[in-house]
Amino acid sequence: MWGSQAGFGSLVKGVPSFVIPSVPDPAAFLRLHTDDHADPSCKIKIQHGTTTLAFRYQGGVIVAVDSRATAGSYVASGTVKKVIEINPYLLGTMAGGAADCQYWETYLGVHCRLHELRNRERISVSAASKYLSNLVYSYKGMGLSMGTMICGWDKTGPALFYVDSDGTRLKGNIFSVGSGSTFAYGVLDQEYRWDLPDEEAQELARRSIYAAGHRDAFSGNTCNLYQVKEDGWQFIGNYDITKLHYDGPGEAPGNGYGYDIRVEGQTSTDLPATAGQA
Amino acid sequence: MFLTRSEYDRGVNTFSPEGRLFQVEYAIEAIKLGSTTVGICTPEGVVLAVEKRVQSPLLESSAIEKIMEIDRHLGCAMSGLTADARTMIDHARVTAQNHAFTYDEKIKVESVTQAVCDLALRFGESVHDEEAMMSRPFGVALLVAGIDEEGPQLYHTDPSGTFMRYDAKAIGSGSEAAQSELQDKWYKRISLFEAQKLSLRVLKQVMEEKLDHHNVQLAQVTPETGFEILNEVKLKEIIDAM
Amino acid sequence: MDSIAHPTQRQFNPYSDNGGTILAIAGADFTVIAGDTRQSEGYSIQTRYAPKVFPLTDRAVLAVNGFAADGNMFVKKVKQRLEWYRHAHSKDMPLRAIARLIQTMLYARRFFPFYVYNILGGIEEDGTGAVYSFDPVGSYEREACRAAGAAQSLVQPFLDNQIYFNNQQPAPGTSHPVHLPLPTILSIVIDSFTGATERHIEVGDGLEMYVVLAKGRGVQGLEDVRGVQELSVTEEGERIFVIRRDLKKD
Repeated sequence: MWGSQAGFGSLVKGVPSFVIPSVPDPAAFLRLHTDDHADPSCKIKIQHGTTTLAFRYQGGVIVAVDSRATAGSYVASGTVKKVIEINPYLLGTMAGGAADCQYWETYLGVHCRLHELRNRERISVSAASKYLSNLVYSYKGMGLSMGTMICGWDKTGPALFYVDSDGTRLKGNIFSVGSGSTFAYGVLDQEYRWDLPDEEAQELARRSIYAAGHRDAFSGNTCNLYQVKEDGWQFIGNYDITKLHYDGPGEAPGNGYGYDIRVEGQTSTDLPATAGQA
Repeated sequence: MFLTRSEYDRGVNTFSPEGRLFQVEYAIEAIKLGSTTVGICTPEGVVLAVEKRVQSPLLESSAIEKIMEIDRHLGCAMSGLTADARTMIDHARVTAQNHAFTYDEKIKVESVTQAVCDLALRFGESVHDEEAMMSRPFGVALLVAGIDEEGPQLYHTDPSGTFMRYDAKAIGSGSEAAQSELQDKWYKRISLFEAQKLSLRVLKQVMEEKLDHHNVQLAQVTPETGFEILNEVKLKEIIDAM
Repeated sequence: MDSIAHPTQRQFNPYSDNGGTILAIAGADFTVIAGDTRQSEGYSIQTRYAPKVFPLTDRAVLAVNGFAADGNMFVKKVKQRLEWYRHAHSKDMPLRAIARLIQTMLYARRFFPFYVYNILGGIEEDGTGAVYSFDPVGSYEREACRAAGAAQSLVQPFLDNQIYFNNQQPAPGTSHPVHLPLPTILSIVIDSFTGATERHIEVGDGLEMYVVLAKGRGVQGLEDVRGVQELSVTEEGERIFVIRRDLKKD
């Protein structure tokens, strides 16, 4: 390649190209060296583990994620940005391989921008998610690992799609993805309503990520909260999960989500001072 | 003279004994048939103005598109065979996006212009690879306007793949008169508003029809709002102020 | 015949682990990028001086750790791309652009990864110190400090405590500083490596610390450092220095 294209490396042909090892089964090669679930002693540890959630409601889409990345049982990072800002009105979430999500969702952003330049119209969330799903489906069986939610607002209103590396693509109101998703769903399903006010919707998302951070060892550290409205997404805040446990999201101490805070001095092993004396 | 010409102007990649590529020269001639297009660089941004020739009263003038966005910080105006410009501008857009993807930064105005010009020479017969993709040279010239870390810039490209940076440049049928007018009136600290008025005044001089908001199009690239094709209201304001 | 067909398993194993540790810490207007110089395979030391930290431009330094052959090849390819960029765009690549470039280069090997952990440090376009850390297939993040390699799990908790002040309560009426001064960071780096050398067999021999200073910052904090050597040619723009120290060789 020459001239102005020379800098684009694997992207010179428009679509990225990849180096494949010359072995009969490249996917097995990759699994052998990188899959720390199958073999904890494998050398190349790709970052994993997550809780992410998103739901559609009257006020738009709420997106909340934790920030822990694990390599085996080591906490590789506690400050991962698992919400990927594809462009000013599309968000993607990160579960599974961190690089897979970061790379392909950035790549998706390129194509959303080209779509809008060529068609003088923003791409719909449905089309964007389908583009991503077709893309990862073409690598099926090669070892990509991503479970993502594409969130945005288009002509149809708030929109939410789940896309994963198996090729699944689902439209829905509520999704949670990752090792901590069951815990998040527990809280989310209980309190979810379409007509939640903004404040309550944000609180529900925070509370759900907290629950996952508390019960799932692979999730934790902090919660990043976003909201998508008609004019694009907005970052709401970053919340320390330990602080949520003891003090809750506000400034006042002692309003934590932790049940041990609520029942302090009221259990059989830790009786209230007055009851013990009586 | 005519004989030498006819012998060497068939092959797109055959030099004449005098060292000329006739097809490329003819392509440059094609631009002089196009509508007049003006670009002016100012310290506050770059202005692009084109004449829209409305050949028929039944033609929807808003459908004529001679100024296009390459990216938020880059715009482009064309003159000549505008259909050819589509290929070039799409290439510019893809290059700008690939650059942003690979380097997480905006592409420079000069780099995107270079990318478009690389494309200009990919005509002729190719030897066993896909380097060549067109049978003839492009018949269009572009004015690429943009802003990067080096400030507002204006570039001119022609079918030979040559590009040059200008403070103000006119292309198309009225370019000769327009260029000398620009040379007269352009000054270093010209404001964006003055440049807008100047570009329309220059167009007015070379246009056959009476200039109004239907037969011209004005666009600008500024640090504040990026690329923007001025809407009818803003355009009318400038025409009135002119 | 005596040849009985035994089941045999063959696998393509192109990787090995050459030990060592790297780290980088960003200050307000400087960044320190460091690595030890031991290279080992299994329990034997191949060399006591194999650099893992490489200056890329006047304001970017890359540290690589993992499989040395992959690491050296990767650095070579990054340098080649930086030169192409310089020719194409007539400027040095900014730090955040190098970070993204490294992501795309690592990800191009998604199905045949480089066994390399990268930490990129330097000065951002706005003059702030910055550290970017990568996983082997290209996921990356900007941070204030990061350790990687054999002694990552020994060094990172120490940095979390000393740089981020994790689990430290500030004295009443005071608060933790947001950015630490250069001499403090240099001694934290030296302590990290002497500590890692004592507790990890793959770390030791030598220590190389690269210091990148923002444009116009001046050298305060480096005047009294023993054996500091400047790599940059001019005093305009960002400046790079290297400081070398011995680590225990047993």
